[in-house]
Amino acid sequence: MNLTFALNGRTASVDVEAGETLLRTLRDRLSLTGAKEGCVEGECGACTVLLDGQPVDSCLLPSMSVARRSVTTVEGLGSVDTLHPVQAAMVDSGGVQCGFCTPGFIMVLVALLRENPDPTELEIRQAVSGNICRCTGYAQIVDAVIEKARGAM
Amino acid sequence: MNASIGAAIPRGDARPKVRGTARYAVDVELAGMGHARLLRSPVAAGRIVRLDLEAARRAPGVRAVAAASDMPSRLHGLVLRDQPAFASEVVRYEGEPIAAVVADTLAEAETAVGLIELEIEEWEPVVDLDYAISEQARLVHPDWESYQMLIEGGFPRGGNVVAELAADPDGVDAAFASAYRVVEDAFGADRQYQAYLEPKGALASYEDGRYTIHVSHQFPFAIRDRLAQVLDVGLGRIRVIGHHIGGGFGAKLDLGLEPYVAVLARLSGRPVKLVNHRTEDLITCPSRENALIRIRTAVSQKGEFLARELHCLLDSGAYAIDAPFLVSLPLLLANGAYRVGPTRVSARAVYTNTAPTGAFRGVSGTYLNFAVERHVDHIANELGLDRNELRRLNLLDDGDRLPNGQTLDDARSLHEAFDMLDDISTTKEVGSGGWRGVGTAATVWLTNPLPGSAILKLNEDGTLGVITAATENGSGAVAMGLRQIAAAQVDVLPDQVIISMPDTDSAPYDAGSQGSRTTHIVGRALVEAGEELRRQILSKAAQILEAAPEDLELSNGTVRVVGAPSSAIPLATVALKATADGASITATGSYATASPRYDPTCASGFLFPTFPTPTYHVHRAEVEVDPLLGTVTVLRYVVVQEVGKAINPQGVAGQIQGGVAQGLGYALWEGLQIGSDGRYRQRTFEAYRLPLAVDVPRVEIVLLENGHDEGPFGARGVAEPPVVPVAAAIANAVADAIGAPINRIPITPADILDAIETVNRHATA
Repeated sequence: MNLTFALNGRTASVDVEAGETLLRTLRDRLSLTGAKEGCVEGECGACTVLLDGQPVDSCLLPSMSVARRSVTTVEGLGSVDTLHPVQAAMVDSGGVQCGFCTPGFIMVLVALLRENPDPTELEIRQAVSGNICRCTGYAQIVDAVIEKARGAM
Repeated sequence: MNASIGAAIPRGDARPKVRGTARYAVDVELAGMGHARLLRSPVAAGRIVRLDLEAARRAPGVRAVAAASDMPSRLHGLVLRDQPAFASEVVRYEGEPIAAVVADTLAEAETAVGLIELEIEEWEPVVDLDYAISEQARLVHPDWESYQMLIEGGFPRGGNVVAELAADPDGVDAAFASAYRVVEDAFGADRQYQAYLEPKGALASYEDGRYTIHVSHQFPFAIRDRLAQVLDVGLGRIRVIGHHIGGGFGAKLDLGLEPYVAVLARLSGRPVKLVNHRTEDLITCPSRENALIRIRTAVSQKGEFLARELHCLLDSGAYAIDAPFLVSLPLLLANGAYRVGPTRVSARAVYTNTAPTGAFRGVSGTYLNFAVERHVDHIANELGLDRNELRRLNLLDDGDRLPNGQTLDDARSLHEAFDMLDDISTTKEVGSGGWRGVGTAATVWLTNPLPGSAILKLNEDGTLGVITAATENGSGAVAMGLRQIAAAQVDVLPDQVIISMPDTDSAPYDAGSQGSRTTHIVGRALVEAGEELRRQILSKAAQILEAAPEDLELSNGTVRVVGAPSSAIPLATVALKATADGASITATGSYATASPRYDPTCASGFLFPTFPTPTYHVHRAEVEVDPLLGTVTVLRYVVVQEVGKAINPQGVAGQIQGGVAQGLGYALWEGLQIGSDGRYRQRTFEAYRLPLAVDVPRVEIVLLENGHDEGPFGARGVAEPPVVPVAAAIANAVADAIGAPINRIPITPADILDAIETVNRHATA
């Protein structure tokens, strides 16, 4: 089946199998490996991408359901020379350790700050409660928003 | 000290990680590769009656199928050769590999695995630890006596006991007989899954008799060595290339899927990739072992610990892996951070029909500390003493010894740590509510002493190359620690330091990211390499500047004659000239910690006998218990930690915060329970409850920096120990809040409600 959708601001057209998930399409067919496969249960959030601006678990989402809609992955943020403010904040605050969960956290935080440019600490923590980080204990991820990214977008 | 040391400089690998371009093993693709799947045992114990691979071999897209007959017949192992790569006659745990298939696509490989005809005569699995060591238990390894031990002189073992430690010093019974009081406890702990976010995976190719293995692994040289053992080939036949690591926490220190991709690559003649599904990863991962501990202490009226006995049963699962080392920990940690009289210890690792257990940050220290520190609180209650005062009365000090006879010459740090903790927190009243409690726990920990090395080279543009097999598992030990140490030692800016990814063909030996060793050991190797590099730089610069080397200074990437700023030449000039002269500037450093002195006669079966480069830790937790739901909220968590020198305070804070989060999970939510069928009850991230951002408080961190003489710029190990005292501090706080003992981890709401009900019954009786 042919799937056409907006991917990181450009039109993508790709053949997919019935029932294929967006995560598989992104990783296996489009070589976008920023979204990670952590559990394929919708529990860890490492596969998070934005669908029409809203964070979704791409591991559970049938690819055909994004037809003619807009998908943003971590590769669609910033550029090689200029990081997106949330990416830059994660670098500066120490919010990155092993980095495997990082793209998923960044996508959720980008969506949060677009809707709520000045979230409280509790709002930040609630927003990322669908994402598991095993390394950081979350404080420096929260700091990234509180100290740096809040108000920078 | 150079400005790179002690500075919160962002880690060198952060940008590709936030951009999603960092490549982990699961992201790696090799041209023409096939995809593999494993057939794993669906049951915990049984005899393989029939295994027919023919239908799988003929299935569409299949390139090769492998099973036990494709591997050398000898068993493999880290310390004891007791494990086959593929089960053939019997299966010993659920998930044990039986066969492997590689096909053009993953779907074809999965279909082919489904076509393998497997028939198993199921046996009652050996699960319970006490049962496993009883007379009537079936032996998990009837041939145990024939297994080769890889330790000179061997170690005590027998039947379902994988390995046994015993220490029985003089004076224990006499002290118990004359004690003012004897206090006794029993504790239990469940398994904990490392739950790294990147599932285990591996890729292999085979050409000209050599295997090239791609991994996200904490210890590439261990893969080389262990894979050579499994395949029965020379070390030189194996090259291991390391990629970014999506978390490991100890679970990626020994072999994983590498033997399967290697044999399939050889059989199929093309590269092979294999990645675990989350559930197979969870049920087969060498998790932190479950354990049972009994402890009793003879005490004086004042509260001195006169003598102790500690007995520990720990679950090795179906194979030994590192358990023969782990039985040493109960002796080293029997007394925790406290002075105790003669201490009798027995520790047995036990075979069961469950997944083999293995290394997880803090290893057995987490539950041993839980047992020892809960026991201290119990003693305080029994004697009517203040818990904090009892701790301080018995706290180790300079010159005190661990149970192995090793002298601690810097344990005064514990007193300093308690002073600082008591300055900012209290063990008395915490808030107004009636269901609040506070708990304290302390520990001594080690910095892993194993050898490491690195090559420094001055590139022809003046940048500094670091070639090392040290692995960046996420801790920042390489991307912050080694980067900043190399920059400081040669005096260039950190962004001028370029660090290689691990490759066993080109990098000198390193013993992997384990036991907080990378910054300390490889950092020290870099200090030595850096000294030699500076000597070569100054010597070459002296030729260029026509000056004596001792009149030159090197700072900030420039060499100049002291007192003559206009003479400055950049490092690039020095490097270009040296290379052109056929003497390119390169230096190697190596380091391993010398073993501390100890008493080798203090125990039998003592394979892991010392705590080199000790560090000191005191944790305090304040919690609130919901008496209706049995849930626990952590209100406050304070850590005072001796780090020697924080090379990067932001990185150190990240390690402490992250370690405490793992400890909170261990204390309150995480736990792999094993059914009587030998299968884990928790099999997904939905059932296995990991700490989330809403669960983990911001840890208050106080660093002690008593520089270590041998460490690079004074640094000791940092990253492993923050997980160790957490379960103890939380359990003590919960017990304080509800006025009843907590002797099992994780502390479930049901346990808390039961404990509250027991107290109420006693109160109304």
